[in-house]
Amino acid sequence: MKIIKNIFDSQRKHFDKRGKWEKFYPVFEATETFFFIPDHVTQKGPHVRDSLDVKRFMSFVILALMPPLFFGIYNTGYQSNLVSGLPLDFFTVFSKGLSIVLPLIIVSYAVGFFWEFLFAIIRKHPISEGLLVTGLLFPLTLPPTIPLWQAAAGISFGVVIGKEIFGGTGRNFLNPALTGRAFIFFAYPGKMSGDSVWTVMSSVKTSAVDTFSGATPLAIASITETYGNIEASLSKAGFTFSTLFWGNHTGSIGETSSFLCLIGAMILIVVGVASYKIIIGGVLGALITGGLLNLIATEASMPWLSLNPFYHLVMGGFAFGIAYMATDPVSAPGMETAKWVYGFAIGALTILIRVFNPAYPEGVMLSILFMNLFAPLLDHFEIKVRLRRRIANV
Amino acid sequence: MITISVKKGYKLSIEGVPSSESEELAKPASVAVLPERIPFIKPRLLVQTGDRVKIGSVLFEDKRNPDIKFLSPGGGEIADIRFGPRRVIKEIVIRTDDEEASEEFEVIPENDLKNIEREKLIKTILDGGLWPLIRGFPFRDIAAPDDIPPAIFVSLGASEPFQPDPEVWLKGKKELFEYGIHILQRLGQKVHVCVSRDSPFVLKEFKSLITHIYKGVYPADDPGVLLYHTKKEPLENQSWYVSAQDVLLLAQLLKTGKYPIERTVVLAGSSATEKKHIRTRLGVPLGHLADASPENNGTRYVVGGIFRGYTASESSHMGFYETSLTLLPEGKEKEMFGFIRPGFRKPSYSRTFLSSLNPSALAMDCNLRGDVRACINCGSCAKVCPVDILPQFTMKCVLADEVEEALEHGLLDCVECGLCTYVCPSKIELCTTLKDAKAAYYIEK
Repeated sequence: MKIIKNIFDSQRKHFDKRGKWEKFYPVFEATETFFFIPDHVTQKGPHVRDSLDVKRFMSFVILALMPPLFFGIYNTGYQSNLVSGLPLDFFTVFSKGLSIVLPLIIVSYAVGFFWEFLFAIIRKHPISEGLLVTGLLFPLTLPPTIPLWQAAAGISFGVVIGKEIFGGTGRNFLNPALTGRAFIFFAYPGKMSGDSVWTVMSSVKTSAVDTFSGATPLAIASITETYGNIEASLSKAGFTFSTLFWGNHTGSIGETSSFLCLIGAMILIVVGVASYKIIIGGVLGALITGGLLNLIATEASMPWLSLNPFYHLVMGGFAFGIAYMATDPVSAPGMETAKWVYGFAIGALTILIRVFNPAYPEGVMLSILFMNLFAPLLDHFEIKVRLRRRIANV
Repeated sequence: MITISVKKGYKLSIEGVPSSESEELAKPASVAVLPERIPFIKPRLLVQTGDRVKIGSVLFEDKRNPDIKFLSPGGGEIADIRFGPRRVIKEIVIRTDDEEASEEFEVIPENDLKNIEREKLIKTILDGGLWPLIRGFPFRDIAAPDDIPPAIFVSLGASEPFQPDPEVWLKGKKELFEYGIHILQRLGQKVHVCVSRDSPFVLKEFKSLITHIYKGVYPADDPGVLLYHTKKEPLENQSWYVSAQDVLLLAQLLKTGKYPIERTVVLAGSSATEKKHIRTRLGVPLGHLADASPENNGTRYVVGGIFRGYTASESSHMGFYETSLTLLPEGKEKEMFGFIRPGFRKPSYSRTFLSSLNPSALAMDCNLRGDVRACINCGSCAKVCPVDILPQFTMKCVLADEVEEALEHGLLDCVECGLCTYVCPSKIELCTTLKDAKAAYYIEK
């Protein structure tokens, strides 16, 4: 500990004002504050301060991401080895998954930090901890077959356009990770949708792959043609409710297990980092919209309408999105009632996009980005109402 | 009796709580008045170094209203007048004589109080140098003597760490306090005497005087918070308030005809060797209150409470309004991997540390506990604001110079309790921003 402290103390002079690397002070500062809480003291009252800082706040999101991350690594390897006919013991599967996911995470962090550092140096703002979260969220929303250069392009767009041009973390109005994902979703649709992108095929091919289609549950659901049959065709394709819930199926890396997203959401709610209002609002929005669509479903309508609403919660990226993306405090509304509305609208819009827009089987990304845009408006209206109740004091 | 329930706020559980013993302190060698620490006044000095003064001699007056005078808390010689940057008068130090002489003021016996003219009463208080104890909302400036306030708030609470417990300084002063309240009743249309639900002694002893009972944690006892939760119309924003202990001073002035200088102050904080109540006088030197121990190098002297107080040097003196001296470790040191430690002993409003399961009082120092970042809209500040301001949004109004909008947000209701700044994970100086905006608006007005 002393040694690390000495290294920082001896190098500090180069980064201080008029030091030879003065410009790189934000990089030095970011590295040092990773190791040490700085020795800044309060200048004005209150003389003592809460122990919570943004770094710890963001660390909890990363902690809550660990279950989906590790399961995502395992599941990616498992799905890949399954179709490639390779052994399915834990160690092989996990190392296979690691070899697919780890490069994505490294690219995401490396490219993300490159932009963050660049902006911090030029704009002279401190390097924010928000990127630690963005850089991990982003790869988890990608299909495992995504080329690394596309991941790099996505995180660049997310960090630069989604965040830095507005002034960095805290001043962005869109979720940077989702902005990046939306960018590659529209720019390179061939690698972001369809049936073939969700599983990494190894070159060793055996007969095991003959029956493999690679479709995700959302894709199956949207091509089911007969009324009232959607759950049956899902389970025929191997997607029973419990498979969907536990997550042992194809999909984006981190999104498949609703159960682990639920655990992550619980952690975030218990420590108070994520708003339970957004999460519960989102679940209610999805269930109620799904339920209402059930009511209007007939033989003649699209079969999607008749899907049991609880399936919506465990399919696709809904659980991941509502637990980790929608609850990003910066892009969500700050007012308490607005959070309910925001969450509910995300849930409802997700279902509507899934059901009525076959071009985008995954609605959660678009609905969160859409509601990000409305968050300031929701805040504005709630503040208006609240201020009307105050007794004027001017 | 009306019950006020203040739902928001935060009880900081911090080490260094003073005991309820109170000790009489020996006479200090010097006392002082600190014009710099009296908000908004423009002092005009009426003495110079070397002048002889008695207890109650005029030291300076407020240029904005020369009737408002500030008197000497000691008899002796003006030893020093310390100036700060831009000639601000920091301290007027009086070296006290062994036998201190005292100025004589008019005595108003309790029986005459009902018949005396209001103007006469005000003049007596003005001449007696105690008018500055009466302050007006919303800016907390010294009240304008010509106004008749809709209400005067007196709050018998001590929720800020650490303030003198009313139970200690009220003991044996029941009649004096009642007399003080009667004086205030002549000044305002109503006098609200507010007591915490959790102080049985005061509730029992002063049953006849109490008008409001509040429940809630810091800063529920602040008169501004009580005003916010009781007001029905905008006119009430012009109310006044007097700190409860100062009511005794008012009564004493009229009863004895002498400038009263007794004060009960609290010495507390984890760095203080003794944590207790101290009976002493106005303007004592901090070094006289707290014995400087050799390990005091990294100690911060906070005058006036952990949340609202100011930092002072050991050679400085207690201010006119302050009744608390807290000694805290400076905490200018780095902590390795602080952000991922479980933190069983790290106090936090949030639930991100194991300390949320730890009910005991925890040690705190003056470390900022992190680095300044942009607001991430976590909303903690709005959850603790006792007067329902949305500090994260109001701060943005202020920084964008949208004065009207900030006022609409309730800027003037802000009681400057500092909780928003305390809880902010981005370490933004929210309270200072709002407080400065309020003061700027007042000066412009």
